[in-house]
Parts: sequence; structure tokens; C-alpha cells
Amino acid sequence: MSASVAIIGAGPSGCFLAQALLKANPELKVDLIDRLPVPYGLVRYGVAADHQGTKGITRQFERVFERMGATFIGNLTVGEDVSLDDLRACYDVVVLAAGLPGDRSLGIPGEDLEGVIRAGDLTRALYEHPDADPLPTLGKKVVIMGNGNVAIDLLRILGKTPDELAGSDFGAGPSAWLAGNDIETIDLVGRSAAEAAKFDPEMIKELSKLSGVTIRVEDMGTAQSDEGQKKLDALAAVDGHGAGPRQLTFRFGLTPAEITGEDGKVTGVRFQSASGDVAEIACDSFITAVGFAAAGPLGRDELAASADDLAAGALAPGLYATGWFRRGPRGTIPENRADAQALATRILADLDAAGADAGKGGRDSLMAERTDLVDYAGWKRIDEAETADLPADRTRRKIACRQDMLALALQKSEEING
Amino acid sequence: MKITVLYGTETGNAEMLAEDIVSGLESDHEAEAVNLSDFAPDDFEAGGFYLVVCSTYGDGELPASAKPFAEAMAQSSADLSGVSFSVFGLGDSEYDETFNHGSKHIADLLAKHGATQLGDRLTHDASGSDMADDLALPWAEEMVALAEKQASEAA
Repeated sequence: MSASVAIIGAGPSGCFLAQALLKANPELKVDLIDRLPVPYGLVRYGVAADHQGTKGITRQFERVFERMGATFIGNLTVGEDVSLDDLRACYDVVVLAAGLPGDRSLGIPGEDLEGVIRAGDLTRALYEHPDADPLPTLGKKVVIMGNGNVAIDLLRILGKTPDELAGSDFGAGPSAWLAGNDIETIDLVGRSAAEAAKFDPEMIKELSKLSGVTIRVEDMGTAQSDEGQKKLDALAAVDGHGAGPRQLTFRFGLTPAEITGEDGKVTGVRFQSASGDVAEIACDSFITAVGFAAAGPLGRDELAASADDLAAGALAPGLYATGWFRRGPRGTIPENRADAQALATRILADLDAAGADAGKGGRDSLMAERTDLVDYAGWKRIDEAETADLPADRTRRKIACRQDMLALALQKSEEING
Repeated sequence: MKITVLYGTETGNAEMLAEDIVSGLESDHEAEAVNLSDFAPDDFEAGGFYLVVCSTYGDGELPASAKPFAEAMAQSSADLSGVSFSVFGLGDSEYDETFNHGSKHIADLLAKHGATQLGDRLTHDASGSDMADDLALPWAEEMVALAEKQASEAA
């Protein structure tokens, strides 16, 4: 059986799926398609730049391309450059692993004020995603809404001194922006009680290494479960930490009701507590880190709504979904790996059942005409350029501009283009 | 000699290293990689040599695939006095309080049941400059040499 498989999205979910498929059946022709000229998705643009250890999984993914025979096809946007239907006509199996690149909104008045910043927009800018907007001005008082790991990442990064960014892959622009901002206070506000906060306890403990901050925890409350107690223990361990100039304050049990502003610019946020009390926190910028949602041309929510069996990742015959695209924006790398492995088992069983019917040609019929696709060798040229001649305290210097990426990647890229 | 590479993994890194070690050793030895999720305390063979590759996850916890084994091991009365092992731990010094706790936990469990540890536990740091996959096979070869020396002395 040498069926052809196209995986849309070369992030961790797609790479783990390719790995599981090729491990079980090395004969499969697996193409990992990405709209960017570079692979690895949120490992590159979502995992915090100062969490290089977490990015170590790319060593596994390199093998998927270099040893297991998967093909990278970058700079191809499914739904724009090529339709999903055309792709399905060429491949026996098409899998959507494109994640959820949109920011969820709060649905309260004032979200369009200047100074209201969505976490995904901010992290894309900080991690130098080629489609990112410029880094915004945060001002002296910052409020972060949300208490998941993305919110904690932002709290930690904004709280770090320039020296504490050593060993990261923050670029020169974001590093200068971080060093140059004049933040005095950051309030991290969660809707839930502290014990039900979404962060992982180790993310909180990590804050105790910051030298430039003072940390305070308000409204800690009590825990009803062991899980909850671990979160409270982690918070208690950092409460009162430090004597640095930047004041970080955790607040819980506050639901945002309205973002207030003057002259089109945010001046504060009005919250309501569980008991109905109203609290207003003045701020110069309000960062919403309240989860992610579908965006882009794939029509994720419609596909999910009409799926044959969304729990199993089966959308329609020959069409599947995995990772956040399937489940929604929950779970970190291990959950997405497990999800991809389960889907691989399902796909292999379906292919077995299809037997000799599987045998569509794959990419050739679809992409022979295109000259702007980036293959794995093209990505490796970008990778080499990004890791050559580094400053001593950085592990990578990302190329942030798509045209510059393409200029490097397309120097000679005959393999998939012709 | 026969070598079993046991791995405990959450994101696949330890599994990758275990497979690297097996490919590197199998030309000269009988080597096999086994996920700790598929391994029970009674599966240890007397006189056997085990290379254990194990990460740490979350707040100093064992990785998911090692948890059922560790629970079974803690309950088990298995006598591992004829068993030798070496441990390659994976961790991240970004979380320094719990750095490499997972591999230590496994090493302690095996030692408590009478198994003999060969060599020092290697504790790889994902935030350091060494690549784990550059270290794994040389480490395994060094540990296998220790195991062979031990076996020849016993004979």
C-alpha cells in the first residue's frame, strides 16, 4: 500500500501525524503542506522564545523529513493557492492540521479601542511571524486578561530583564522593544478562581527566577481538588517574590464587562466579581489572552459542524482533522501528539479497508506548474542562515520577512517544483 | 549481549533516543526498544542489562508512558538483584527545582528493588548546548562496555 497523504499544516500536530503514519507504513507518500515557507508552526511561532527546551521536539520532526521520507511543501495556502477539493482529488488522504490561528474575542464593549491587543497578534510580533503587525506601544500600566499558559508566557517575557532573555531566540527588534518599554505594573486577571486557573503550576514557579519584578497574588481563595491545590501552592510560592521595580499582580474571579476609553484609546477595564462587585483597573494597554479560534480560508467551523465523526477526526471519506483544528484550542504538545497517533491508526485502518482503491497520484498532477513552492532543502537554507554567526546569547536569529525567506529558499528548489 | 532499551516519554524525545540507540547497537548486539507503557516489573530478566531513557514532565513528574510502570514497580515485590541498568535522563534546567526528577525516580525505583546501576545517571539539559541525540549512542556504548566488563568479571 503506497497511498498518498497530504497534511495541511506542518506544525507539531501535522509532524507528529506524519511521524506516526510513516513509522507504521514507510511506503506511504506523505506531504506536509504549509502556508509559510518554514515548517513547525507553533513550535517556531507559539512556544515562547525563552522556552528553547520545548522546541527540542523539532529534532524529531527533522527526522520525519530527513530519514522517514516526508516531503515539505511550503508557501502554499490551501483554500487560496489551491482548493481543498482539488487537493482531495489528487491525494488518497487529506488531513487538516492547520491549528486555530485566530484570537478569541471577549465579546464586550470597547474591544476595538487602540491599546486592546490580542495575545496571538502580540506573540506573532514577538516571535517574528512574517504576517505579524508591528509591535505595539504598551505604556506603563498593562492588564493581561486570561490565565492560561499564553498569558503566563507574556507575563514572564514582559517581566524579564534583557539579561534574562539570554539563551532565547528573540530577534534584535523584539529584544530592543522589550528592553525599551517602560512598564511599571502588569495585572494578570482571570475569570475563574485561582484553583481553577488554566496555567500549569511549573509555569508559575518559573516566575520566581525573575530579578526585576515584585509579585503579589490577590484573591487566592481555597482549593477543592489536588489539581487546584497544586496551582495555589505554586502561586503561594511566588507571592511576595522579589523587590524589583516591575509590579506583577495576579487577580482572580473577575469577569470583564467593559473596556473604557478616551479619544479612541483604552484607559481601563471594568470587571465584575462573582458577588457582583464592580472593580475598575486603569491601564494603558489591555492584552486579551483568552484562547484561540478558527481563522483563514479553510472554513474550519463549517467542516467541524458537518463532520462524520469529529471525535475520531473523520470529517468525510478521505478527509480528516487533528490537533487544535479538530479539538479546539486545548492541550499542549503531548495531547496533540496523542491525538495525531490515534488519527494515524484510524487512517491506516481506513486505507486498509479501501485496499487497491487507494492510489491517487499525489502532488505531481497538482503542483507541477508552481515555481514558488519551498521544499525541505529550501527550509534548511533558511535554517542555516538563521543559525549562522549568532550573537553569544541567542540560539537563532529568525528571518522575519516572507520575501527574504523566499529569496533564500528558492535559490534552487527543483525537487518539488519540477 | 542482549540489551533492552526502556523508554519513558511524553513528547517522543526519549522514544527517538531509544530508537537511535537500538539502531546504533544492533549491528553488534541484540537490542530492542520497549516503551515503559508496555513493560511490567515481572518482565525484567535476571542477568539482563537495561538502558533506561526517561524524561521529566510537568512539575517534576514522570512522563505519561512511564507512570503506569512506576506505579506497578512501587507496588511490586519483584527481586531485581541480578539485573543491571544505566539511566539517560532528559530534563530542562529552565525548571531547575525539578530538573531530571523523572529519571531519578526511575533509577531509585530499580535500585530499591535490588538492581545494580552501572555508570552515573546522565542528565541531559534541553536548555543546554548539547544535543541529546549526539550524546545518546556514545553513552549507550560506554554503558554496554561497563555491562560487558561486569559480565566477564562475574563469569
